[in-house]
Amino acid sequence: MALKKKLNMLKKHMSHDSPKETQGIVHRRETPAQQVPHQSFWQENGAAPYFFDDDHCIIKEAVFDKEMSWGRYKLADLEGAVEEWNRQKSAHPLCADGIHADELLFFDTETTGLSGGAGNTIFMLGMSRLIGDQVKVQQYFLPQPGSEVAMYHYFLNHIKELKNLVTYNGKSFDWPQVKTRHTLIRDFVPSLPAFGHFDLLHGSRRLWKDSLPSVRLSIVEKEILDVHRVEDTPGYLAPMLYFQYLQERDPSLLKGVFTHNEWDVLSLMTLYIHISKILQGLTFTTGKETYEAARWFEAAGETELALAKFYDVMNSDQIHYTDAAKAAARILKKQKKMKESSELWEMVLKCADKDEEAATELSKYHEHHTKDMEKALFYAVLAYDRWKGKKRLLRAKEAKDQAAFHIRIERLEKRVQQL
Amino acid sequence: MFGKKTMQELLDVMKSDSTISDQIVYWKTIEPRDAVTVPLPSLLHPNISRALQNRGIGSLYMHQLSAFEASLRKESFVAVTPTASGKTMCYNLAVLQEIAANPNSRALYLFPTKALAQDQKAEINELIDEIGLDIKSYTYDGDTPANIRQVVRKAGNVVMTNPDMLHSAVLPHHTKWVSLFENLTHVVIDELHTYRGVFGSHVANVIRRLRRICRFYGSDPVFICTSATIANPKDLAEELTGKAMTLIDNNGAPAGRKHFLFYNPPVVNKPLNVRRSATLEARKLAALFLKNHIQTIVFARSRVRVEILLTYLQDLAKKEFGMKSIQGYRGGYLPKQRRVIEKGLRNGEIMGVVSTNALELGVDIGQLHACILTGYPGSIASAWQQAGRAGRRQDESVVIMVASSSPLDQYVIQHPDYFFDRSPESARINPDNLIILVDHLKCAAYELPFKEGEKFGNQEVTEVLEFLVDEQVLHRRGNQFFWMNDAFPAHNISLRSASQENVVIIDTTEAANVKVIGEMDRFSSMTLLHEEAIYLHQGVQYQVEKLDYEEKKAFIREVDVDYFTDANLAVSLNVLEVDKEKSGSTASIGYGDVMAVAKATIFKKIKFETHENIGSGPIHLPEEELHTSATWLQFEQSDEKTEQLEAGLIGIANVLKHVTPLFVMCDASDLHVVPQIKALHSEKPTIFIYDSYPGGIGLSEKIYNHWDIVLDESLKVIHNCPCENGCPSCTGTSDENSFAKSAAVRLLKQVRSLTINGS
Repeated sequence: MALKKKLNMLKKHMSHDSPKETQGIVHRRETPAQQVPHQSFWQENGAAPYFFDDDHCIIKEAVFDKEMSWGRYKLADLEGAVEEWNRQKSAHPLCADGIHADELLFFDTETTGLSGGAGNTIFMLGMSRLIGDQVKVQQYFLPQPGSEVAMYHYFLNHIKELKNLVTYNGKSFDWPQVKTRHTLIRDFVPSLPAFGHFDLLHGSRRLWKDSLPSVRLSIVEKEILDVHRVEDTPGYLAPMLYFQYLQERDPSLLKGVFTHNEWDVLSLMTLYIHISKILQGLTFTTGKETYEAARWFEAAGETELALAKFYDVMNSDQIHYTDAAKAAARILKKQKKMKESSELWEMVLKCADKDEEAATELSKYHEHHTKDMEKALFYAVLAYDRWKGKKRLLRAKEAKDQAAFHIRIERLEKRVQQL
Repeated sequence: MFGKKTMQELLDVMKSDSTISDQIVYWKTIEPRDAVTVPLPSLLHPNISRALQNRGIGSLYMHQLSAFEASLRKESFVAVTPTASGKTMCYNLAVLQEIAANPNSRALYLFPTKALAQDQKAEINELIDEIGLDIKSYTYDGDTPANIRQVVRKAGNVVMTNPDMLHSAVLPHHTKWVSLFENLTHVVIDELHTYRGVFGSHVANVIRRLRRICRFYGSDPVFICTSATIANPKDLAEELTGKAMTLIDNNGAPAGRKHFLFYNPPVVNKPLNVRRSATLEARKLAALFLKNHIQTIVFARSRVRVEILLTYLQDLAKKEFGMKSIQGYRGGYLPKQRRVIEKGLRNGEIMGVVSTNALELGVDIGQLHACILTGYPGSIASAWQQAGRAGRRQDESVVIMVASSSPLDQYVIQHPDYFFDRSPESARINPDNLIILVDHLKCAAYELPFKEGEKFGNQEVTEVLEFLVDEQVLHRRGNQFFWMNDAFPAHNISLRSASQENVVIIDTTEAANVKVIGEMDRFSSMTLLHEEAIYLHQGVQYQVEKLDYEEKKAFIREVDVDYFTDANLAVSLNVLEVDKEKSGSTASIGYGDVMAVAKATIFKKIKFETHENIGSGPIHLPEEELHTSATWLQFEQSDEKTEQLEAGLIGIANVLKHVTPLFVMCDASDLHVVPQIKALHSEKPTIFIYDSYPGGIGLSEKIYNHWDIVLDESLKVIHNCPCENGCPSCTGTSDENSFAKSAAVRLLKQVRSLTINGS
């Protein structure tokens, strides 16, 4: 067949030795600018070629006044958010303690595929950062495959003094993919810096997963950050457009991709500011947001901050009152503040008539602390009644729970009789 | 209640009871063999030496020493050893010695299945514990949890996996395995003989990719292979790995006495030479052993046979030990189900197993005393593998091969010399099959860019790369080819099956509890899962309610009927291009590319026990196209009448179907034989033999080169058959007035008289 013939033809070539590899010893260095294809296009769009050996990458730069608004904040609000973290000094994963606003690197990539793997090429490394009175967006662009040494050389040298990445899903996608591609050329470029990393996807999930249809950055922007894009090129088209550009060699195809990426890294700033302010209690938040922020602090081990926020919710929000009170009561119990804890459980018991946890906790409280066995028994029975009134899904757990109720009630009945 | 008989007593029964002894046409006793041992070598790391001695191993078998010495010389080698001869020691010693000397070094073990990897992990870990060095070994497969995966990548000295996992999860993510690839000193390929045909051709390409990535990270590991007995272990190992191999075949392991019996079922219709069904006879023999509590394995050649035998035997065992004591074991079962069976066999809860060749592999199931082969498994190597299941731990054991009526079985059973004296078959692969090659080139390009002129294995591939550039899969820049596509190529390529998508089998018996119980490749589903087919799974009968061919789903419901179904596949062939040709005055042969179009036509319902035909129905499924390579035998002139010609061609085709797999060592299903009275391309009577994998894997080309031998053997089969006018054991027909036999013999003599292959 055609292909088979092709292979037979190929056999004639087999005696040829494959060319010797030419890597290695050549001293690699940055080289002066030369003419590249589409020079004028790049120039008109604020981009320029940067040379390294006989190869080059394109770097596009755009500068914005830091007083510019992007969604609900000015970019300059980043300074305030970071300063506040330095003041509050909590163990929260987003706390930028000891970091200046201009050391944060807001980072997003565009790639040729969606799944991770050695063959998925990053063709654009986009970043924004605060410098003096300005916000600078830099986009390192791969003009053709094979030029990655040039692109990573400039990128890695430019970010040396930065301390912390801020990304959206960068912990599981962008940065591992950078590591993957870097591994392939690691002998020719500087090593990757050991960054701190704030991945805002995690926070967005915590805060808004129940209230938004999805926590994609584009949705969060629109619904939460008040950023409204006009004529955006959706991210999933980026691979196709890049392939088309490689085929047709027409860089104007990529204009939309550059803009999309630029908007992404600017929105990351706004998102970082907003999430920080929610956590710092410096912006209006819904009861749900405060409640989730409190849980986040609790998970981070900041119990006092969490407790304060749970009280905030109880003081301001009816819907999440019970959840917050229960969470606070659990914390107080852990802190051995039994009386305060029991007071909260009593409040929960009044508000939530289907909750057996509060009754159980009160039963334990009276059994072990006030030694009031009659009260303890009363709450134990109440808890069991409430529990029986609920529908449950797991049968195995049901039996176990029921046994626990029986044991408690029997024990307390005995102790009451002994009185 | 009678007492249970021992194996020795049962052997006496088989010699004296005429209903059995009359059917035993050959009884070979293979005498026990003593061990050939040598002291532990002085160069062995002292910790390893001590560990072995602590476990009561004070010496090595001869072949283990040879393996150890080869590894000290840094040679790649292939060790050919029978079952239970301590083959794992051949590679574990080499690898552990290396890691003991250099704790950073890493080894990769490849097993054809997950189960084997699990077994071997347990074994090597026991040894490692005893050695007392910090050596970490892990399995890495689909079940490995995400948090463990990271540990395996970074720190596993020994990583045990399977080729599929290497292909789709390790190589495409090689940047996460840097420390493995930088320090890789050994690659172990266990059960080498399983890497043949399509699967082997795929795996050879996976290994080309592996070695390419190793080169990138600066390593060049030694390859260690172990194989069951085949004719060409060294060639196969070299073709699979691209490395020069040392052959180690000086087996020093002991073996117990083994009785190998050839059992030919009685003739029930003399003129037609029809014998009793091998399945029924196998059932009778298995029952004899099982009743006496002798752990028995019964091999059957197809999934359907397995299920039929299982139904019979479970019925039998129900009263005595309960259904669960007899189990089926074959490819269509889900992994978890298989693990349970393997465990039951090891701990003795399961008394009998009915299996397809899935259990040919070295899964450790402990000692079985009796092994029954229902029909000749198709190759000498396979037969010995299956026979090795009995008495692997040096006891006296018995293997009974029950012949079916097929020409091949009858040939083998009447020529014991052929079986016992002939060297086993060669295992063949064709890594350069264009479709397979192109698939793996895509994966390789995804993993690392190609340079112009770079070879893939020994294959020059620049033109294929250019083709992929035209297809917009790769992008060429200067002398390099880059992956430029948003797909993840390894996900679309399966190493195991010709047709990529399997049909999922869904049990809808309980509307509230619909569940998937198995899967099957698409080609087989045409004849096994068509609507109204009876599908057997673990001895339970299901009827196929609906086959959604588009969505690849078969919906089945449990039924209780007394028949099974058998479907017909009609195939038309079109020769696209003739690559090789030799012609004579009466016949000619050719080799080239064909398009085969297959369509399932009708099915028959066949009653259990009597095996009579009790009904039939049409099958409505679309045609399947297969572009592959074929060889054909064309009759240039013939004086036969049409009817005789047709009967003769069908007769020859039936014999070829069974004889050819013998000569190219492949599964009977890897080749198809189709006779045509008027071939489309020549309008002449023709018999086609084609590879059943797209693009061909080199089987039909081998046959093209050996038509003379194949035809000679076919003539012998028909000629020597005691029937008068053709029978199921030769021409396949069972019509008393048939002239199939005489016509087939005339046709064969006609073509044999010409030396079609030259010299």
